[in-house]
Amino acid sequence: MEKNYHVCTGCGLLCDDIEVESEKNIVNKVYTACRVGVAHMKEARRAEADFRVDNKPVDEATAIREAASILKNARNPLIFGLGTSTNETQKIAIELAKKTNATLDDTSSFCLGPLVEALIQDKLKTCTLDDIRNKADVIIYWGTDPSDSHPRQLSKHTYFPRGSEKQRGWEEERTAIAIDVRKSHTAKICGNYFFQIPPKGDAEFIDALIAGLSGKLPKTSYNYPPKKLLELANILKGAKFGVIFVGRGLIYSLENLEPLFKLMKILNEKSNFHLIPMVGNCNTMGFNKNLFAETGYVNSVKFENGTVKHGPEYSVVESLKAKTVDAALVIGSDPLLILPGSIAKNMLEIPVISVDHCETLTSKHSKVYINTAISGVEAGGSAIRMDGVKVSFEPVIETNHPSEEVVLKKIMEAL
Amino acid sequence: MTNAMELYQMLPKTNCKKCGKTSCMAFAVALMAHELTPEDCPPLKDEPKYKENYEKISEIFKPSEGATETGLIVHEDLCFGCGNCVVACPPNVANDPYGVGSGNAPRNVNKLVLTVENGVVKAQNLGECRRFGKNKILCNGCIVTCPVEAIEFV
Amino acid sequence: MDFGSFLSAPEIQVKVITYRDIFQDKAMFEDRFGEEYRNLSAVIKLDPADLKQLNVKKGETVILKNSFGKVVVKAEESGYETPHRGIAYMPKSPWSNILVSDETGGTGVPKFKDISVTVTSAKGEKVTELMR
Repeated sequence: MEKNYHVCTGCGLLCDDIEVESEKNIVNKVYTACRVGVAHMKEARRAEADFRVDNKPVDEATAIREAASILKNARNPLIFGLGTSTNETQKIAIELAKKTNATLDDTSSFCLGPLVEALIQDKLKTCTLDDIRNKADVIIYWGTDPSDSHPRQLSKHTYFPRGSEKQRGWEEERTAIAIDVRKSHTAKICGNYFFQIPPKGDAEFIDALIAGLSGKLPKTSYNYPPKKLLELANILKGAKFGVIFVGRGLIYSLENLEPLFKLMKILNEKSNFHLIPMVGNCNTMGFNKNLFAETGYVNSVKFENGTVKHGPEYSVVESLKAKTVDAALVIGSDPLLILPGSIAKNMLEIPVISVDHCETLTSKHSKVYINTAISGVEAGGSAIRMDGVKVSFEPVIETNHPSEEVVLKKIMEAL
Repeated sequence: MTNAMELYQMLPKTNCKKCGKTSCMAFAVALMAHELTPEDCPPLKDEPKYKENYEKISEIFKPSEGATETGLIVHEDLCFGCGNCVVACPPNVANDPYGVGSGNAPRNVNKLVLTVENGVVKAQNLGECRRFGKNKILCNGCIVTCPVEAIEFV
Repeated sequence: MDFGSFLSAPEIQVKVITYRDIFQDKAMFEDRFGEEYRNLSAVIKLDPADLKQLNVKKGETVILKNSFGKVVVKAEESGYETPHRGIAYMPKSPWSNILVSDETGGTGVPKFKDISVTVTSAKGEKVTELMR
């Protein structure tokens, strides 16, 4: 029986085995997807297309014209978001940024950006989720809780399923280890292999682990039982195909990536380890890769008359703090929700164009609001999964809302 | 749960045989075995003096929402469709090795014991579950793999 | 015995660790302005002994304050077996973001996981509304 599988763009896993029952362009039933995926596919829609300027409904042409004029008249506009946009949309956004001499950034600049950069530059070894399903025997979740952020990860790829070289799956052939500051849902599944460390204790834990791997006594200032650390070191040494999933919990606790580089180096001397970042949104990895292909940087860039500059001063947080940007085009993101209040409030002082598929905190305070189709559900395209694999998808239902791709193209033409 | 003796204490103890059993003790045993229901004892159901006991016994044998007659319940408000139980369930794997056994969507939904629908786990085909039937074992694959204890056997 | 417990409105200092909760994410997809999202996000999970010292019952509201902002959220018991006095957990949300410092040292990364607040009973005050 031919199955019509769809791709879910709810999180960075991009599950491609979702069956959907829909009628008259409304999704009724979703099989196999997790709760977040189901909520994403069934997102409630208002019937009319929404185009607003200064909180008053207008037609599409007016909204586009207004948006283009804001970008044209700005000295240094900020283009931000794109974490849930398709690859095609992101490439157009990069062109738009070049044309308007804009600062371009996405959420990775304050999340996993440095790690993704290191992976794209081949400074760290990585693999795909399918490799993990087929080969992995030791899996570490460090500073991340996939059961809450990517619910199907353990069951679809990493811990529970059987793979070509791991036919007996989790019961006999895989070990899952969680290292975190609290007993998350994932830590519960890992049972005895949960290592609880105090906040900011990761750097010391890594140093102690490196000591343990080299046969020295592992010591930490918070007296983590050395016996347990040595146990962990032994498990890691014996791994034939190990994986470390790194989340924001670890990244925020480290000053820089040096300890992680050191750990990966020694792990690969003693055994075989790979690293995958727990990218939350469905295509932030795509943005990093597309921008890298175009400019050599993964985020925080400023285009100026054909040249490209890069540095933390061009990140969304620093740009807003220093108030160096005088307009913003926010695509598929909600900075007023995810940024600290003290920084996000600066966004209220500049004209904002919000291009999103639903009302957000940001869109309520923006000068121009353009409602678009949901990527993956109502608009097709391609995206890159958290392990770097490209996944293409077709829309599940139809809509009369324009797609982000179309909107950005029109804004560019109106410049 | 409870036992036949405790149930007997709550029955009329008149041995009226209206339920079809020879004594109230026999009725208590039949209740425990799920052969009869509290409604099969007319005095218990109808007479006001046994009302409180009737309610207590009904509470014990209430078919819990979602519980199939083999006793598996899914707490839908806790489950978020992670699929761990689906991939870990031994009969699931045996019946669909390249589908759920390898973490993918089911290739043959009708043979599975656990599947995910609308983001929540659904139990079906409990005849295949290892905990029931003649050769039952204490399999707990779906219980230990659930991060939120949403699956329970009553 | 710290001085805080002698004040008429006892207050304690806690470090807040933010985490991610799937039901909160689902509520955000469905309606980020709605009740469900607020009930799942404007929450702080404290150690039961800390709750007792504050004289707050679970389900009542508390005020969280630091030099970056002030916010009123619902207090609940954390449910973790190992005691963790002085550490509290909040789902990452605009409520927790109000308390995040804007000190980034020029790196562009705010200190999302390094939040210190003073907690006091809100004496029935309602949870802060989201609109700025």
